Amino acid sequence: MIAKEIREEVHNCIKCGLCLTPCPVYKQLYFEAASPRGKVQLIKKILEGKLEPSENFHRLLFTCLLCETCTVNCPSGLKVDRLMKAMRAELLQKFGLPWQKKMLFHLLVGKRLLPFFLFWGRTLGNPLLARMPRSRKLGTIPYSKFPRLNRKPLREQYPEIVKVADPKGRVLYFTGCATNYLFENVGRSVISILQRLGVEVIIPREQVCCGLPIFLAGARQMALQNIRKNIELFTGDDVDAVIVDCATCGAALKKEYAHILEEMGESPEAAQTLGRKVLDISQYLVRFDLEKHLRPIQGRVTYHDPCHLLRSQGVKEEPRSLLKGIPGLQYVEMAGADVCCGGGGTFQWEHPDVASGISSKKVQSIKETGAGIVASGCPGCRLQIYGNFGEESVEVVHPVEILAKALH
Amino acid sequence: MLNQEVLKKFASILGPERVKTSQEDLLTYAYDAYVMEYIPDAVLFPKSVEEVSQIMKVASAHNVPITPRGAGSGLGGGSLAKRGGVVLCFTMMNRILEVNTANRYAVVEPGVVISEFQKEVEKFNLFYPPDPGSATVATMGGAVLMNAGGMRGIKYGVTRDYLMGLEIVLPSGAMMKTGSVTSKDVTGYDLTRLICGSEGTLALVTKIVVRLLPKPKSRRTLQAIYNRIDDAGNTVAKIIEAGIIPATLELMDKMILKALEDFAHLGLPLDAEAILLIDVDGDLEAVEKQAALVADFCKSQGARDVRVSQSEKENEQLWVARRSAFGAVARMRPTCVIEDATVPVSYLTSAIKKVIEISERNRVQIAVLAHAGDGNLHPLVLCDQRDKEEMVRVEKAMEEIVDYAISVGGTLSGEHGIGIAKAKYLPKQLSGTALEMMRAVKKSFDPQGILNPGSFLEYAA
Repeated sequence: MIAKEIREEVHNCIKCGLCLTPCPVYKQLYFEAASPRGKVQLIKKILEGKLEPSENFHRLLFTCLLCETCTVNCPSGLKVDRLMKAMRAELLQKFGLPWQKKMLFHLLVGKRLLPFFLFWGRTLGNPLLARMPRSRKLGTIPYSKFPRLNRKPLREQYPEIVKVADPKGRVLYFTGCATNYLFENVGRSVISILQRLGVEVIIPREQVCCGLPIFLAGARQMALQNIRKNIELFTGDDVDAVIVDCATCGAALKKEYAHILEEMGESPEAAQTLGRKVLDISQYLVRFDLEKHLRPIQGRVTYHDPCHLLRSQGVKEEPRSLLKGIPGLQYVEMAGADVCCGGGGTFQWEHPDVASGISSKKVQSIKETGAGIVASGCPGCRLQIYGNFGEESVEVVHPVEILAKALH
Repeated sequence: MLNQEVLKKFASILGPERVKTSQEDLLTYAYDAYVMEYIPDAVLFPKSVEEVSQIMKVASAHNVPITPRGAGSGLGGGSLAKRGGVVLCFTMMNRILEVNTANRYAVVEPGVVISEFQKEVEKFNLFYPPDPGSATVATMGGAVLMNAGGMRGIKYGVTRDYLMGLEIVLPSGAMMKTGSVTSKDVTGYDLTRLICGSEGTLALVTKIVVRLLPKPKSRRTLQAIYNRIDDAGNTVAKIIEAGIIPATLELMDKMILKALEDFAHLGLPLDAEAILLIDVDGDLEAVEKQAALVADFCKSQGARDVRVSQSEKENEQLWVARRSAFGAVARMRPTCVIEDATVPVSYLTSAIKKVIEISERNRVQIAVLAHAGDGNLHPLVLCDQRDKEEMVRVEKAMEEIVDYAISVGGTLSGEHGIGIAKAKYLPKQLSGTALEMMRAVKKSFDPQGILNPGSFLEYAA
């Protein structure tokens, strides 16, 4: 059952259409059912019992990046994304999950399966990826542009508590799957910067996938054990903050957990407590005087706003100010930095045509800046932008990686 | 219902992808921004004039009703399939074909979104002034067929004032051109301006030629804040009388301010009874002079304070908020019906008073918004369409507003059009002879009556 406060919202849609033009998906497809207004109106019909949810409707419901652009643009204040997420959960039973997602999600919730998969991924997958034909793609991304798995998960590379002498701060670090298994340099950068700043970093060993890919696909029940586990692990200690380097995990911990629990009729209190403690790494770092730790580096950088950081968490200025504070580095703002890159998690392989249309606009904006480095604090955006950049060389990195490079 | 044979013919013209008949597609083309819904039998998405022409040949051969539609931001049901049949949606026919800087005109396809077109011509330091509140949604084709007005009407006029020529397709499928790209043109009847505002009842527009202006070098946005709404109304009339021509002159009452502040958090004065949002534009020096002049003028008419925005970003935020007014009031009640009656500007204050009186007497919640410089009222009637008894009172209040506007020499609709929302009031303003002439025009374009059937003329019949 969709929670009452969200159900009631459909009646507040006045159909003004202000959500159409900003919607990246509508701007590719140009028909109403692909737009937020269209989807809200269809959900309204379903809730009124005037429309039976069909396969076609289900497909439309997933023809959405959940980038939340409609929600922030809605003058009537509809939380369109929450409505869509709740509807996805509502339809799970009827339509189930595609087998690929089922497999992936089982990996992400399972403790035993994942290490097994990762072992074979490293020994077989990594060399295999290098041998895949250059033109073959998964969704919009050529296999050749996929990152290799970390030789050792990040969390196994560090002790559970990374101690510093005379600590000036203390944080819990939620590493997320991407940093743990794919982008170890992000995690190393986070830790090295925090060490330099004299902050003690606790990396709970038992932490699990934030679960966001699972519950955004509608499988809330399946994600529940991960949600509970993380809440338990990250609310206990007395720390300055729970820091997250991944926009998506941050969105999950900061607000989605509480929403989901509440909508499932459970107490959201612990999740809210956690939410208040969560900070994106950029939000935490801007509190410090970093300048004295940095040496000049060369280069021209532009910044892309991840949906889950900008719209879900309202973080806009902090990563920019970190980048602008690096001596020698030239910062250029791209046109439409706040527009979704087209990745949308699994969206890009479910709807490659739509995604590549959206991504090519993003790539164009980046090229116009003449920047050789794109900074963005989201592994999904990183994959999507790098994967759609074509033959030209570009570096897509997390802002902390540039920052760590500039440490002297 | 459309038969399979006709649908097959449409699919052979457009390909199956651009002929949509799923229940989900039909339901999402059953509405616009008005409250009524009509479910079409199919939705077609042409991409070229040839396709439109072929569609019309099939439609006229089989007597299929065709209702043109852009983005569906209309406020009167103009783009809904009142008698079923096909919704012909132009959103995929959306290229800007030419921006001619030497002769200052541009050629666009009907599906281009107005604000995107404005942005594009600004790259050439040019300016397309018509600026309906829905400019970020609405299409150029929709603007032409509805003769959209908007916020810059007071200084720059409406869509019709910028139209130079059209390419149209008649119901028979015949293609033709109207007008030209020259700034003067008296060759034959002015069919361009006849099609403009015809609400899709005469012909389909497939190409639009519009005049452009040089882009004003600067602008300032002023907020004049009033403790009494009457003073705000009087200021407007006095500004016009004094010969000052601001680029925009918008009035918002406290209910609108509250809704906008909830949405945009701009620090709008919530204790004020009304504000005027005023733009002045032109050369920097002239703008500064005029801004000061307008500010003094407002104060002399009782404004308690006048705020001048300090940057283009601040200007922009205020106008984004203004554009959101229609949607933002939905924070108060689920349904909002916009009135669009327009009065000679000297009647503005009495019209506002009248609206307030009507609202109180009928126990209907009305927020007052107005393109004040044009005397174009936009009372936003807040209600819940699920409450039948309330809707009766709403209907009555709206009719009284219309009656008042007509009684002082105003008009039923300033810019939103008649559609179905106001069709029944048409005889209040148009004489029998006028209606007869209009029907004769309709007949000469569309003898079978297949274009947007059920629209204003037929409704009144």
